[in-house]
Amino acid sequence: MIMNNPSQKISIMRSKLELKPRLLWLQGLTCNANAHSFFNLPNLEQLLNKFEILYHPSLGTEYSFEKISECDMVCDVLIFEGTFDPLLKRNNILMLNILTHYAHNAKHIIGLGSCASFGGMFKASSPQRNTGLIFNESLKEGPLLHLEEKVINLSGCPIHPQWLGFTLNMIVQNRPIAVDELHRPLELYSHLAHHGCTRNEYFEWKVDSKGFGLKEGCLFYGQGCRAPMTHSSCNKILWNEVSSKTRNGTPCFGCTEPDFPRTDLFSTKTNMSIPADVPLGVSKRSYLTMVGMAKTFSIKRLEGKLIDYKKTD
Amino acid sequence: MITKKLIDQIEGEASVYFDLKDEKVDYASIAFPHFIGIENILEGKSVLDALVITPRVCGICGHAHLMACVRAIESAYKNANLPVTLSKKAEDIREFTLILEIIQNHFKWLYMTIIPQISKLSGSYQDQHPLKGAFAASLATKALAIFSGQWPHASYMIPGGITCDPTHVERLQALSHVEELITFFEKECAGIDIDSLLSFRSCKEIDALQSDIGDLEKNLALSKMHLKGFSHDNFLVLGKHDFSTQAKLKQMRVSNVDTRYIELDDAYSPDEKSYAKNATYNGMFYEVGPLSRLISSNYPLIKNMHRRFKDSTYTRVMARVFEIAVLLKQARTLVENLTLDEASFFAPSKIENLSSTGIGVVEAPRGSLIHKVIIQEGVIKKYEIITPTQWNLGSSPKNRLSPSQQAMQGQSVDDALFIFRSFDVCSVCTTH
Amino acid sequence: MARISKEERKENIIIMALNLFSTQGFYSTTIPNIAEKVGMSVGNFYNYFTSKDLLAKELILYISDYLGNEIQKINESDLSTEEKTHAIVKMYFNMATKRPEMIEYFLRVYLSNREVFSENCEGMTCVSSFITEMMIFFDKGVSDGDLHNQDFFSAFGLFMGYLGGMVFLNGEKILPEPINDYEQSISKNIYNALKTRT
Repeated sequence: MIMNNPSQKISIMRSKLELKPRLLWLQGLTCNANAHSFFNLPNLEQLLNKFEILYHPSLGTEYSFEKISECDMVCDVLIFEGTFDPLLKRNNILMLNILTHYAHNAKHIIGLGSCASFGGMFKASSPQRNTGLIFNESLKEGPLLHLEEKVINLSGCPIHPQWLGFTLNMIVQNRPIAVDELHRPLELYSHLAHHGCTRNEYFEWKVDSKGFGLKEGCLFYGQGCRAPMTHSSCNKILWNEVSSKTRNGTPCFGCTEPDFPRTDLFSTKTNMSIPADVPLGVSKRSYLTMVGMAKTFSIKRLEGKLIDYKKTD
Repeated sequence: MITKKLIDQIEGEASVYFDLKDEKVDYASIAFPHFIGIENILEGKSVLDALVITPRVCGICGHAHLMACVRAIESAYKNANLPVTLSKKAEDIREFTLILEIIQNHFKWLYMTIIPQISKLSGSYQDQHPLKGAFAASLATKALAIFSGQWPHASYMIPGGITCDPTHVERLQALSHVEELITFFEKECAGIDIDSLLSFRSCKEIDALQSDIGDLEKNLALSKMHLKGFSHDNFLVLGKHDFSTQAKLKQMRVSNVDTRYIELDDAYSPDEKSYAKNATYNGMFYEVGPLSRLISSNYPLIKNMHRRFKDSTYTRVMARVFEIAVLLKQARTLVENLTLDEASFFAPSKIENLSSTGIGVVEAPRGSLIHKVIIQEGVIKKYEIITPTQWNLGSSPKNRLSPSQQAMQGQSVDDALFIFRSFDVCSVCTTH
Repeated sequence: MARISKEERKENIIIMALNLFSTQGFYSTTIPNIAEKVGMSVGNFYNYFTSKDLLAKELILYISDYLGNEIQKINESDLSTEEKTHAIVKMYFNMATKRPEMIEYFLRVYLSNREVFSENCEGMTCVSSFITEMMIFFDKGVSDGDLHNQDFFSAFGLFMGYLGGMVFLNGEKILPEPINDYEQSISKNIYNALKTRT
């Protein structure tokens, strides 16, 4: 394929001297958002140049999908985007057969996005049969279970481009990638989405957001924010390099977790006004004790508006 | 004899079946073989969940789905005589982010689909820079995400406004990304500043440009695309925005539109199971998208192109490229003039009390997008999505061809495949 | 004779103070009264509590922790929500019979002399362990599908207000029967009022 760094043209030939890992990008049932998210990666060209790309659905690549579906070559890194549907055919060939062929020979398999990791949003298309590559929600089940030691899941709806960038660069450098029990890289998924949120102080002092469309207040109490229960680095490695959902007043929907999508996403589930879910690893008793204390203090700075444009404009 | 072609390097995957006579297309049918079923997934859920689920119909135009969804819910409120107030700030920010999504789409289509294909077809071997498309798109989505939190798959528009509450710091950051993108477009893509480009009056002026767009124009002409790919010359713009005018144009006769006349029926695909549907207006096919939007506005260049080359593939492709300039200018104006002293959000009455029906119409990258919803006590009873590709890429029997089927008629297979892609196909939207 | 530890002495002061406050009222009880009852000098008393207000606060914390501990045991048991409701009522009435000074103090001092508790004891700070356990009880009841999901204070007021009222009537000797006789019917009433509505 031919790529560009705005003005310079680099032709990629597979020379015998520099054998690059061969990368293949396959798709199950997908909305393509992981592919589009990945295009936002700042150093995309430098990264792609480290691979020989056999096929990518939206980049002009060495081989056509028809050729890929003949299954007479192998790849080193297999990326699978989308929910796995055992009945899905592409080019009239069962995706299961194509996937199994390449997965068997690949050194690394990446389940890209929550659909490929756990079934995700499109699992609901045919909930009885659709799964991720090695998980059906959080149960071990899927077409590549026998190859699970090679599978890295990058959950998220969609993935953050730098999560895939990190994984591919680690693979290029031959470095081991430590993963959690859901096969997600620890370095990307041991943080919670809550970490680094600009509303953290409101969470600490239990100041609820008075509604949507405000800089002030925490979205955990009323607006359904799942950030304290969600493994992801959304507020550590910012989206599109500029922001995150919670910074912009949208609750975290927990899209990196196996139970995504949950329901009633814009409101916090409560039992008699008590949050049904509390931050990961914190007992409800400790959490409620702390809330009881924090709620008794009235902190003027956290109660008013940070900036009043009516006065300043 | 029927020849099958699998189409990739579009959004998703499609098959086109050509029935050839003397090596020319006598009839082409289109199949979209993969089905998601988002509408079924939505039934029984809280209607606000649709703001999270419907953007996930499509990885490239999810923002347009979000806006169609929020407009559908807001229209349901109004139909139930419950007021919904939107501040100008909220409306302007929604418009700004929608426009930037269209811009990122057009850049990717230009550099990842159209230039590589025309390069092959014309034999000119025009330089291919697919990642230029990704780079420009990433600048657009950066400006967008300042307000939406992220792209793709944001859910920051909610009935009554938006969730963000930006300061001038964010506004200026967005402005600087837009300015950077304009500079990129002028230097790396158009070879001329956008104001001059927007004031062009004839195709010759484009032809003279030493740039990617100039090369594209020359290669389209070299491939005789100004004489190929004619469709019905019927255009439809349903979405209400500052950058386009709602209109129905039948051989340039303009009339008003009413969404009540829109119909959906199953696509005709004799050679493969297709999950697509055809969208028609009063029983007729219309082309939607950038060409329709620009024809219904008043740009001398587009008027000139259409007068000379009608709705040929040349006109269709150049209109989409030209729309990048139109929208970049609009985006800059919006963010320059954005005022922040209004509320971002006015809470409408409780969603649990809402039983009503609503319709949301927006202009998405590929044309008019419609969401319809029936709500009972805040829960979705029925949801229906009509996407632009269902208008342009419909598949019907020979006596009633869709815009793209008509455009491929009488062409060689290679030309027909290029013409097909000139509509900017989105299969994931088609078979949501 | 074994030496009495400082902690035991402190506990002793708390018990005596509870008795005096709940029978004679907060303002009529003085520190010399309490010191005398415990059998220590007023000077020594101040080694334990530096003021009467601080003592008052310690007392409410003591009661809240006591109640909290008792309810925590019930919350951590395998009982059903209905059985837990009964167990809480039973525990509360037992306390009213065996340690009436605790409930009396809560009702007659803590709730009636809010000005004493305005500093360092705002809101629910001093009754947090008790309230937290009631929250745990309600939360579990709702998530198990037994209790109707409603506002916390609507449910809390119904439960504790009812019990407080009965203990008050009992204290005023208005109840014709011993309070424990009402245990069954009252826990049934409470559960029926709180349970899931079909």
